[in-house]
Amino acid sequence: MAILEVHNLKKIYVTRFGGNQVEALKNVSFSVEEGEYVAIMGESGSGKTTLLNILAALDKPTSGEVLLNGENITGIKEKEISAFRRNNLGFVFQDFNLLDTFSLKDNIFLPLVLSGKSYEEMERRLSPIAGKLGIRDILAKYPYEVSGGQKQRAAVARALITNPRLVLADEPTGALDSRATEGLLRVFGEINRDGQTILMVTHSVRAASHAKRVLFIKDGEVFHQIYRASMTEDEMYQKIADTLTVLATGGERDE
Amino acid sequence: MSRARAGQERRAAGREGRPTKVDTKMFYAKLGFENIKKNSQTYIPYLLTCMGTVMMYYIIQSLAGNESLSAIQGGETIKTMLGLGTWIIGIFAVIFLFYTNSFLIKRRKKEFGLYNILGMEKRHLGMVVLWESLYAYLASMLAGLASGVLFSELVFLLAERVLRLKTHLQFEIIPGAMGKACVLFGVIFLVNLLNTLRQIHLSNPSELLRGGNVGEKEPKTRWLLALLGAATLGAGYYMAAVIEDPVEAMAFFFVAVVLVIIGTYCLFTAGSIVILKLMRRSKRFYYKANHFISVSGMMYRMKQNAAGLASICVLSTGVLIIISTTICMYLGTEASIRVRYPRNIYVEVQDREEGTTEKIKAMVEEVLAPYGAKEVDPLEYRYIYWMGRQKENRFSAFGDGSNGDSCVVQFLTLEDYNRLAGREETLEKDQVLLYTEKGKTEGTTLWLGENSYRIKERLADFPLPEEGLGSMVKSYYLVIPEKDTVKELGAGLGYWSGEEEPTDFWTYWYSFDLELTDEQQIEIWEQLSGKFSASALGEYGSVRGAAEARSSFYALNGGLLFLGIFLGFLFLMGTVLIIYYKQISEGYDDRERYQIMRKVGMSRREVKSSIRSQVLTVFYMPLLAAGCHIVFAFNMIRRILYMMGLFDTGFFALCTAGTLLIFAAFYCLVYGRTAKAYYKIIS
Repeated sequence: MAILEVHNLKKIYVTRFGGNQVEALKNVSFSVEEGEYVAIMGESGSGKTTLLNILAALDKPTSGEVLLNGENITGIKEKEISAFRRNNLGFVFQDFNLLDTFSLKDNIFLPLVLSGKSYEEMERRLSPIAGKLGIRDILAKYPYEVSGGQKQRAAVARALITNPRLVLADEPTGALDSRATEGLLRVFGEINRDGQTILMVTHSVRAASHAKRVLFIKDGEVFHQIYRASMTEDEMYQKIADTLTVLATGGERDE
Repeated sequence: MSRARAGQERRAAGREGRPTKVDTKMFYAKLGFENIKKNSQTYIPYLLTCMGTVMMYYIIQSLAGNESLSAIQGGETIKTMLGLGTWIIGIFAVIFLFYTNSFLIKRRKKEFGLYNILGMEKRHLGMVVLWESLYAYLASMLAGLASGVLFSELVFLLAERVLRLKTHLQFEIIPGAMGKACVLFGVIFLVNLLNTLRQIHLSNPSELLRGGNVGEKEPKTRWLLALLGAATLGAGYYMAAVIEDPVEAMAFFFVAVVLVIIGTYCLFTAGSIVILKLMRRSKRFYYKANHFISVSGMMYRMKQNAAGLASICVLSTGVLIIISTTICMYLGTEASIRVRYPRNIYVEVQDREEGTTEKIKAMVEEVLAPYGAKEVDPLEYRYIYWMGRQKENRFSAFGDGSNGDSCVVQFLTLEDYNRLAGREETLEKDQVLLYTEKGKTEGTTLWLGENSYRIKERLADFPLPEEGLGSMVKSYYLVIPEKDTVKELGAGLGYWSGEEEPTDFWTYWYSFDLELTDEQQIEIWEQLSGKFSASALGEYGSVRGAAEARSSFYALNGGLLFLGIFLGFLFLMGTVLIIYYKQISEGYDDRERYQIMRKVGMSRREVKSSIRSQVLTVFYMPLLAAGCHIVFAFNMIRRILYMMGLFDTGFFALCTAGTLLIFAAFYCLVYGRTAKAYYKIIS
């Protein structure tokens, strides 16, 4: 069953005085099945971020629709949208977006507190997640006291604690060194095996090679996609790299 | 902002890299100018403050140096006060401008770091900063002095009204005052420049570039400081609330002020954190959507802003106290004159010979006749004023070996009392009537020296006007059966009214109001006084007129009010500036947090309302605390005002409440205005 369906998404930005129109997304359609792990790749300016913002309900498309669990999120009222996001989506960002004023634990609790959950409930939910992510010992620390990899794992915990339908990750490895990157990708693989649906935007080939499917976006359109199927990570890596070369040299669309 | 900075960067890089010899001096001069323009959001308020301070300094200097003021009666008093005012304004100018400048530097550290990385050495940066200071100095001196000259005429007019001057103050431009202003502010700018250079010198470029982005540590809990704050504030409040004696109130006022200031700073910095941490400790309370965000947010804000907020609080309290007190004193001038002069004109003379009364009344008649005026509401009686010691019910002379509190007793005859009070009281030979203005006696017997008297009645009120200083020492009125009773008293009580020789002369008091202008009253007083001095009575008494004293009363109270308004204005300017800068720095800090919260799943409205409530708390806390300080200070200041002859507590309460209301309205206005700058930054 498709958990996320994107139909003919189009987004046009108009510069302030209405002079230039920039077409960030031309016509994007794809769907994500429950339990999938999808990476979206593309160069800077290809429309990745715009797409993610629309999926996250942070931005509205010019036309087209986004169905999450069959519900059109572009039609949700402004009032309900935050609660909708809290309950259905988990976010992981490149720059972590942890609040300096909270300990890691409180940062992870933030979405639950906003949803009005009791403290006992929060503790109950945190325990297995913290164990899985290996952050149990640093929960009392503040973001400025821990490493980038630890921060990102706390951010993943924050994304998972609401049991979201879909985790959206925006360049999650962008600010991490190679060891921390490897660790985080392993974590993503594990939580995906546990059944979590993940949609990740990246332009790191290494990160994308961990996904089960990779979508390539160029000039605001889905240009190509690769299924991992039975490939090993290294084979997948090679295939992605080749595709990117074709993309960059302006190859024709193929399926 | 960032685009402007990038442009600046390109420009700076372009110029530095160009091989052709650009006139480097001009380059720094130009860059300095550009910097001021680019940082106008923080620079303009700074320049305005400088300008305003220069203006006020010049005005008060030129007023203090005004020649025509010296010629006026009471002018010297005013000049002394204004001279004091120049010092106070000077000192505050130094503090304010130093504070503001250090804020400017903090905001600009990143920019300095950028220049440094682009290849400007620290001495080049120094040159740029030097030029900036030069521009700022010249601009604020020129604008400040120009507006000073312009507004001094207006202030002179105001001064004439407030001080009730009869002559017109000559408008003049005083070069000396300008010179002093130039020197004072030159020194201030130099100190600020040196401080900036020191900051640039101490830091390394990567640190400069990172600027404020270093992870903010959670504030420590400082129990000791919080307790100290609570203790000092409590002590200050207690002192102010329970004090009764005006002399003590005056003496302890500054002690209380210092205690409250210490308490304010400690509680704002440490106390607030302690309370927030306690809130956080309670899991049930803390993990609620609205508490969660605000408690942690407030902790961070208090760490950043506590000192600034405490300063706003102290300054606001200062403004409120100064203005309410001086306004009360000024508006109450007539009342204090009335206390000192119960009637427009009074004659006070020892009743040494028969016919004193008639002689004086005849003199008054004679002087008043040409004016066709009559004595209005005349008040006449005889009294004896005695100072000595009191211990319980025993009154004894100074220096006879007994101890006890000093006290004042005024004796009146039954005849005078009955006439004044409109009663028909009778007394036996050893009976007296007692009226206690301040003090305490018990039982029914009084010992006056060797003699004892029975108190026939303790009077609830007394038909004489209240005396200003009467409430400062124990003071009693004693009504005795007849004039000669004092003869037997004299021996036991020793010296009458501090005379070398024991005398038992009564003092005759004759006073009356006049329905004439002040000028005519002064003429009458002069004539009467002349006649009186020339007569045989002249040696034993004097004639006093309220009209003659009025101008010196107004010179004093008006001078104080004038100074109060000036200082109040200065403090207000400081308060506004601190609020504005706080809003800006809060805005930059909040912008990032605002965006993160949005991404993590708070709606725009939730974020806005949470931030709004925090910002409101932060900015209204000082006002609330200031209000609280005022409430506690009220009793103390009221007592001090007693010494100035102001007994009308209701009136003082009105002045205080009025000042507080106007100030609060102004504060809200300033908050509203500066909040716009804040919202512009975060959205």
